Amino acid sequence: MMSWMNIELNLLILLPAFSAPIILILDRINEKLRKIFVILSASLSLYFVTALFFANFTDIKKGSFFLQYTFDYFGGPFIINFSMDNLSLFFSLLISMAVFLIIIYSTSYIKYNKAKYYALFFLVAASIQGSVLTADLFTMYLFIEGITVFTTPLISFKKTEKTTEAAMQYLYYGIIGGVFFFISIILIYFNLGTLKIAETALGFSEISGPMQLTIIIFFLLSLIIKLGIFPIHFWLPKAHSACPAPVSALLSGVLLKVYLYIFMRIFWTMISFDYLIELHISTFIMDLALVSSLLGHIFALQEDDFKKMLAYSSIGHIGMILAVLMLNNQAAFYGAMLHIAAHLMMKSGLFLSSGYLLRTAGSHHIDELEGIGHKNRITFGAFVIICLGTIGMPPLLGFVSKWYILLAFLKGKHFFAALVTVLGSLIALFYYLRYISKAYAEVSPELKSASWSADFAELLHFLKGDQLMSTIVYVFTLLIIFFGFSFQYFDMPVNTAIIELLNPQKYIDLVLGG
Amino acid sequence: MHKNFKNITAVVVFILMGIAFYENFQLMPAYKGLGEGVSDYIIRSGLSETGSLNLITAVLYDYRAFDSLGESTVIFGAVSGIVLILSRKMLPVSSRGLSFIVKRTLGIITPFIALFSIYVITHGHLTPGGGFQGGVIFAAISIIFSIVYGSAFDYRRYSPQMKTAFETVGALTFLGLGIAGIFMEGYFLHNLGFLTAETGTLISAGSIPYINMGVGLKVGAGLAIIFYSMIQKTFKEEI
Repeated sequence: MMSWMNIELNLLILLPAFSAPIILILDRINEKLRKIFVILSASLSLYFVTALFFANFTDIKKGSFFLQYTFDYFGGPFIINFSMDNLSLFFSLLISMAVFLIIIYSTSYIKYNKAKYYALFFLVAASIQGSVLTADLFTMYLFIEGITVFTTPLISFKKTEKTTEAAMQYLYYGIIGGVFFFISIILIYFNLGTLKIAETALGFSEISGPMQLTIIIFFLLSLIIKLGIFPIHFWLPKAHSACPAPVSALLSGVLLKVYLYIFMRIFWTMISFDYLIELHISTFIMDLALVSSLLGHIFALQEDDFKKMLAYSSIGHIGMILAVLMLNNQAAFYGAMLHIAAHLMMKSGLFLSSGYLLRTAGSHHIDELEGIGHKNRITFGAFVIICLGTIGMPPLLGFVSKWYILLAFLKGKHFFAALVTVLGSLIALFYYLRYISKAYAEVSPELKSASWSADFAELLHFLKGDQLMSTIVYVFTLLIIFFGFSFQYFDMPVNTAIIELLNPQKYIDLVLGG
Repeated sequence: MHKNFKNITAVVVFILMGIAFYENFQLMPAYKGLGEGVSDYIIRSGLSETGSLNLITAVLYDYRAFDSLGESTVIFGAVSGIVLILSRKMLPVSSRGLSFIVKRTLGIITPFIALFSIYVITHGHLTPGGGFQGGVIFAAISIIFSIVYGSAFDYRRYSPQMKTAFETVGALTFLGLGIAGIFMEGYFLHNLGFLTAETGTLISAGSIPYINMGVGLKVGAGLAIIFYSMIQKTFKEEI
């Protein structure tokens, strides 16, 4: 075995993990140095993933891309294994991009306790990368726990009674979800004596039927809690609305996608999806996810809290993605993957713009938005565009992904699901319009921005002070518009990722083959 | 009526769940050793590969060192989080501590506690113990100080900044040894061969003792910080 094999995979996890203590030290020395280091480390993380993508471009295109890294003594049976195939690469790229932009946004949004904030943020980033790259069940559990533990203090960052309550609830449900995950891992270890995902995949058929059902149900329970699907969703809006805007963007935009990735890894690569169909669980999950999707949108409609509304809308979208995954065919995966990318950009953009628009407001209540459309014309324009994307207006990325999801549902003759998708968009139109109309309410002239030319002149100082925040919002908006017109760029990574999902055998062979 | 109904439903659901679990765990195969004989492998070749007499330490800091790194990073993150949530700028209000006799006695005992914790940490690869356990003993010194001498004493002796510095140094030691493993042995966190000496001596087992020291510093300082943050809170509420 080559010793220098794909050592860069380690780097993706270690770089943010290493940054956290260094940030704490640098903060003691010099604040400016710390700021530079934060930006440097975030951009290096992004650079490594993109470099991996471009260096292996031909392999990725052929679908033969596979990197892995093992810790072991030669021939020893216990291996902690990192592996990266096209599916992980797709998620890793998206996540690194979003985390980079959110960190840049944070540099001007977070005003106090900066060193602790960045240290925790980088630890979360390391855990996210780790849970995407790992090929070992226990290490995956460790990283999931890490995500829960590290995000909890970030949620209660403002230290008020409300945020502490939300954080405690998040912690309890996160830990309970983690325990369920752990029970499944223990059961697998006792039955098969291995923790490797690939070996579990090979040996899963040898486990007795009821035990298979138990393992599947515990994994499902854990992931349903983590994803915030209907019966256990109530912690999600509280947690996602209590934290500072960049953390909301991280939780809603990035973390939910990570749990979706883990869902795919477990139920397609490790436990073949046929078991779910055989046990009639897939239809049940699909119905649950659809109900969750509909309820999420309806709750968003009656919500007067700006950020809670966005969080409920996340429940709606995640439910829809989970439902379409349950169709288990190429068209469905295409729509789901595209919507994962779209929702990641849109929800991050929306939460970040909410942070910018309400940066001086005391609360997130709908009344605080009054007249804000006149005051921050361009940023609010960007916000409206992202909203339209979430609803599914034609030239934007949200439309493309929703269109493919709808097509997949219709092709599978799931008319109720198609109805939920369309209805969700319609309801979304209403609840976003409520806020937009409030923002354009008539206010006294001195509250309005002076003139359009002054607004555009401000754009020139795009890196200065508060303007940096709106610049990041513009970046997300431009990404949504750009990919809306040219979503073909997603074709290649998405299609190769789908091939990984449909052929788990390749992953198993490559991991076990060394 | 309504409340009782809720309770009864909960109890019934729990009993049914219990029965279901019992039925299911009955199906669990008898413990027949682990699939590929992982434990056999460790017992056979653990000593020769790692040089550590304590096989549990060998598993923790060598075979699955990456998981231990993750675990201690979780402690690191938890400490940062607790400090972030609970920390206050003001100096804590000190209790006056216990009587003169207790203070004197503790003064005599303290060096021995410290010595014991250093022993547990540094002999982690030879005897039961290791970084996590020794670190907890180390943190106990700080905790006893706060109780016996009053919390301000501990604050003046070892400020939170100093504890955070200790913790960070511990974290960096672990990570640094991991990186050194890449450059010297080709694997992240691989045991450093050049440090290996005769088995059974204090400086044997490659990088394991040094990782132990890093973890000990980190756990000790971390627990002391957690305890300290909580004291501040209770004292503030009592006033």
